[in-house]
Amino acid sequence: MVTSRIDHKWGMVVDLDRCNGCQACVVACQVENNLPINDKNSFLQNRAYEWIRIERYWEGDYPNIKARFIPVMCQHCENAPCEPVCPVFATYRNDEGLNVQIYNRCVGTRYCINNCPYQVRFFNYWHPNWPERLQNQLNPDVTVRTRGITEKCTFCIQRLRRGQIQVERRNGGELNDGTLKAGNHMPACVQACPTNALVFGDQNDVHSPVKPYFEDVNKYNIHHEKERKTRGYRVLEEMNTKPNVIYLKKVDPNLGDGHHG
Amino acid sequence: MKLTRRNFLAWAGLSAVGAVACDVIQDEELSLQSPASLPEDLVKGRDNWYATLGGQATDGEGVIVRVMEGRAKKIQGNPKYPVNQGKQSVRSESGLQALYHPDRISGPLLRTGPRGSGQYRAIQWEPDALDIFRRELRARSQGMVLITEPLRGTLGMIAERFATSVGGSHLGFEALDDTTYRAAVKGVFDQDRLPDFDIGNANYVISFGADFLSTWKGSTRLSTAYGDFRQGSKRQTQGSRGYLVHVDPRFSLTAANADEWLPIRPGMEGYLALSLAYVIISEGMQAEGVDVDALTNGQGAAALAAFAPEQIAGQLGIPEQLHEGKSGAEKIRDLASNFAHHGPSIALGGDNAGAHTNGQFNLMAIYVLNYLTGSVGSNGGMRFSPGSPLGNLADAAKIGSAQDWAGVAGDIRSGRTRLVLVHDANPVHGLPASMAFESALNRDDVFIVSFSSFMDETTALADLILPDRVFLEGWGDDVPEPGPGYEVIGMQQPVVNPLSDLDPRSFGDILLSMAQEMGQEGALPWTSVEEAMKSGVEALYNTGRGTSSHAASADDLWNLMLRQGGWWDEDATGPAPTAPSGILNTIAAQGREPGYAGSGDFYLLPFAHNTLLDGRLAHIPWMQGVPDPVTTVTWQTWVELNSSTASQMGLREGDIVSVSTDAGSISGVLYPNPALPPNVVAVPLGQGRKVGSDYATSGDARESSNALDLLSASHLTESGALAWAGHRASVSGTGESMKIAKFEGIFPARQIGHTAGEAVIIVTNH
Repeated sequence: MVTSRIDHKWGMVVDLDRCNGCQACVVACQVENNLPINDKNSFLQNRAYEWIRIERYWEGDYPNIKARFIPVMCQHCENAPCEPVCPVFATYRNDEGLNVQIYNRCVGTRYCINNCPYQVRFFNYWHPNWPERLQNQLNPDVTVRTRGITEKCTFCIQRLRRGQIQVERRNGGELNDGTLKAGNHMPACVQACPTNALVFGDQNDVHSPVKPYFEDVNKYNIHHEKERKTRGYRVLEEMNTKPNVIYLKKVDPNLGDGHHG
Repeated sequence: MKLTRRNFLAWAGLSAVGAVACDVIQDEELSLQSPASLPEDLVKGRDNWYATLGGQATDGEGVIVRVMEGRAKKIQGNPKYPVNQGKQSVRSESGLQALYHPDRISGPLLRTGPRGSGQYRAIQWEPDALDIFRRELRARSQGMVLITEPLRGTLGMIAERFATSVGGSHLGFEALDDTTYRAAVKGVFDQDRLPDFDIGNANYVISFGADFLSTWKGSTRLSTAYGDFRQGSKRQTQGSRGYLVHVDPRFSLTAANADEWLPIRPGMEGYLALSLAYVIISEGMQAEGVDVDALTNGQGAAALAAFAPEQIAGQLGIPEQLHEGKSGAEKIRDLASNFAHHGPSIALGGDNAGAHTNGQFNLMAIYVLNYLTGSVGSNGGMRFSPGSPLGNLADAAKIGSAQDWAGVAGDIRSGRTRLVLVHDANPVHGLPASMAFESALNRDDVFIVSFSSFMDETTALADLILPDRVFLEGWGDDVPEPGPGYEVIGMQQPVVNPLSDLDPRSFGDILLSMAQEMGQEGALPWTSVEEAMKSGVEALYNTGRGTSSHAASADDLWNLMLRQGGWWDEDATGPAPTAPSGILNTIAAQGREPGYAGSGDFYLLPFAHNTLLDGRLAHIPWMQGVPDPVTTVTWQTWVELNSSTASQMGLREGDIVSVSTDAGSISGVLYPNPALPPNVVAVPLGQGRKVGSDYATSGDARESSNALDLLSASHLTESGALAWAGHRASVSGTGESMKIAKFEGIFPARQIGHTAGEAVIIVTNH
C-alpha cells in the first residue's frame, strides 16, 4: 500500500529551566541505542561517550555559586559542518531534518568529529563488548557499531521509522505529537525525561509543541535576538549551523539586569 | 490467523510467560517495504509492551517493558500509571541488566567450605534444596528473623505473615532508613503513610536536606512536578515561576537546582524552621483560617520565643554573603515572609536533616510549617494518599532502625535467633562496621538462607542460597508510597521467562509452600503469589470502584489491571489531617541542638549515590558508568572537599585522601567541589563492595570505600535510627594519587563556553 508522503521536519526543544541534570535521558539513550558500557578505563582515557550528555557548569564562588546543567546531543544542523568533510558521504542531511550517519559507509576518517563544533560525534576506538548474557538486552532495531567508525545521536530514527510504518503506512494516519506519544515513537531521552525538559516534534506540524519556538528563533536571527518572544536560542548560533535543536534559557530570578542575555 | 512459524513462536512465547500485553502500545508485526534495505529494516518479529512495576531500584514506579522474541529490550515509564505518568528515573533501566546480568546466581547453592569462604556446590531444588530449607525451618523457626528489602503489597504481607506464623519476625532493611521521617510524620500529622507534595502547583518551596530531585522518596514523581513548578503550562500564562529554597549543608543535586541554596550547620534545620514559624505567627502572616491558638495552646509566638530569629541566627552558620547585606535575623524574617506570602507554599525535609541526634525534632519542626501556611491537604501543598483498598496488603514498608538491627544482632549472638532468612537485602554492607553485624552472622550456631539473585556480603555468609526470580520474571504488586493522593495498587507480572541456563524460583511461592507444610494455611491459604493476588483482585472487583467499574468480571478486571499496570480510584482520596492541639509547644519542647560524634575539623556528610543508592545497584554496569550529576565522577568513591579548603591543605584532584572518624577510616579520590561549605566533607555511599559481581568490586581499596564504615553505631536519632549526618571527621592526604574517573573534561566546554554560557543560558525573569 502506498500512501502520500507526509513532510516532516523533526526538531527538539530543550527547556533549561526544567532540566535538573538527573541523567535519566543519558541512560535511556544508552539502552535504546546499544551504546557500549562506559567502563572505568573509558573514563580514565577520556574516551567515554554518551550520545546525549549532561554538561555541568559552575558559576560564581562559594557561597554564591550555581551549577548549571545543559543536555547536549547532536544538534541535527541544517548547515552541518560534519557533512561536507566526509569523503565517503557517510553523513548527510535527510529530507526530514535529520543529520544521518550511515554506519556501513563510514571508513573512520574522523574528519566529521573534528569539524563538529558541538562535539557530539564519537569514534569507536574499540569493538563494543558485552558479556554474553547482557547481549540479550540489545535493541534489534539498532545496529551495533563496530570498531573504527563514527556514531552519534539519531533522534532515535528507528522509533520514527516504526512510527511512520505503523501510523502512516499501515493506518493512514499522521505521525504527530499525539501519535508519537501514544505509539512510543518519541526519542528515548524525550520519553524518559522526568521533568519534561525535552520536547520533540514536527516543525511542519502547526499543532506541534516545538513549532512556536522554531518560528520565533527563525524569525529573529542572532542579530535580532533581543526581539525574540520566547526564551529560545541556539547553541553557538553565531556559527550559522542552524541546528534543529533549540534551547530555552534558564531563568534565574536572582540575577540583576547586568547578566541579561 | 494463519499459523506460520513466526506466529507460532510469538504465541508460544506469549503463553509460556503468561503475560498480558498492555494496551499502551499497539503491537503490529513489522514488515518493511523500503526500496533500500538497510540492516535495521530487516528486523522482523513481534514487539510487545507489557505493563509491570519497576522493582526495588525505582521506588514504586510503574513501567512498560518492550519484549521481543522472549527477551526484554527496554524499560520505560508507564504513561498510565498515576505515580510516574510515563516518566522514569535514572535508575529505572537497571532492571534489564539485573535480568541479563552475567553474575546472576543460576540455581540453589549449598555451602561446602567455612562460612564466608565462598565455597558452594550446586544442588537441585528438589528434593535437596527445599528439603534442607524445610528441615532447618522446622528445627529453628522459633525466633527466626526474615530480612528483606523494603516490601509492600502482597509480598510484604506474605513475608510478615510467614515470619510471625512460624514464630519469628520480619524486618525490612535500608541503609539510610526512613524511620525518623516516619516518626516525624506520625508526630505532626498522625499518619502512618508518607506524604506526597504537589510541587507542580506550588509557588514557593523550602526544602531542608531532602534531595528530592535525586534519591529521596518519590524522586521521579517530584521531578515531574518540579518541571511544572518551573515552566508548567500554568506558569507560562501567569508568569509565576516557582521559587525553590534549599537548606542543606551539602551541595546536592536539589541544591544545584534551587534558586537559593542556604548551607546551614548540619542539624540546625529544626531551629531555622521554628524560627520561620515564630516570625509567621508573631507577624500574623499565617494563612486564613489557621488557628494559631490551637497550635500553641493559646500562647502564640511566645511558645516559640526561644527560636526568635535574633536568638538563633548566629548559631545557624549560614554564610554572611548570603544575607544580602542584612543581618542574619533579617534574612530569616525575609525568608519567613516570602514563604508565607507567596503561597501555595510547601516545607519539606528529609535525608541529612533527619539524620541527627535531634533529627526527629528537625523534621517535625519543618513539617509543622505546612499547617501555618494552610498547605496540608490543599492544592499546591502536601497531601496524604489513602492506604490499601485491600486491608491485608502491606501499604507501608516495615523498615528496621539501627536500634532494631542491634537487637537482631543481639538475638543471634544470644542464640535466641538460630535461623536468618535474607532476601535482596545486604545488612553486612549496609550497616556500619562498628555494629559488627557480620560477626553476629558469622557463627556456627546460626543457619542462614539467602534468596538473593546476586552474591553480596550477606549472601556470602549463607549456608543455603535459593535464588529468587528478578522482578521482570515474577509476580507481585505494590501500594506505592508516597502515592499520588488517591488509592493505587500497581501490578507486577512476569514479562519474560528466566533464561534457560538460569533456574531461579519465586521467593514468595517458596514461603507460601513452606507455610502450608508447617500447617499455617490459616494465615497464608494461597499456593502462589499469583493466586494471592488473584484473590485480592476478586475483592477489588467487589468494591465496584475505580478501575473495577470498567470491568465486567473479576477475570476481566485482572486482565485490565495487567494491561494498564494496576488498579486505581481517583475519587478515593486520602485523609486531610488536622493539627494536634499544642503541636508547636510539643515540638519546641523537644528542641535541642544536634550532637556530633567524634572530633575532627569537618562535618562528615555521607549521601546516597545518585545511581548506586546505598550500594544495592553497584553491580549494574550502567549505573556505575553514569556520571554523578554534580561532580561527574563514575566507578569510584570520591571525597568532596571545598576547592579552596583542599588547596589550602595542599590537596589536588585525584589525591587519595583518608577520611577518619572515631568509628573508622576510609579512603577515596579527592574531588575539589567549589560549592561545598569549607567545613564539610561529603562522601557518597554505593561503592566499597567487597563480595559480589566484578562490576561492584573491581575498584581497589583506595578508590572504592563504604562510607557507612565511618559511622558510629551508637550515635542515634530520637527514634533509634543512625544519626548518619552527625559525625565529625578529619581528612588527610596519603601522598598517593590516581586519575579520577570523571566525565567532566572529556568534552571541552568551548562549544557552550562562556561567550554563550553565561550570557545565553541565563536571563532574568521577564
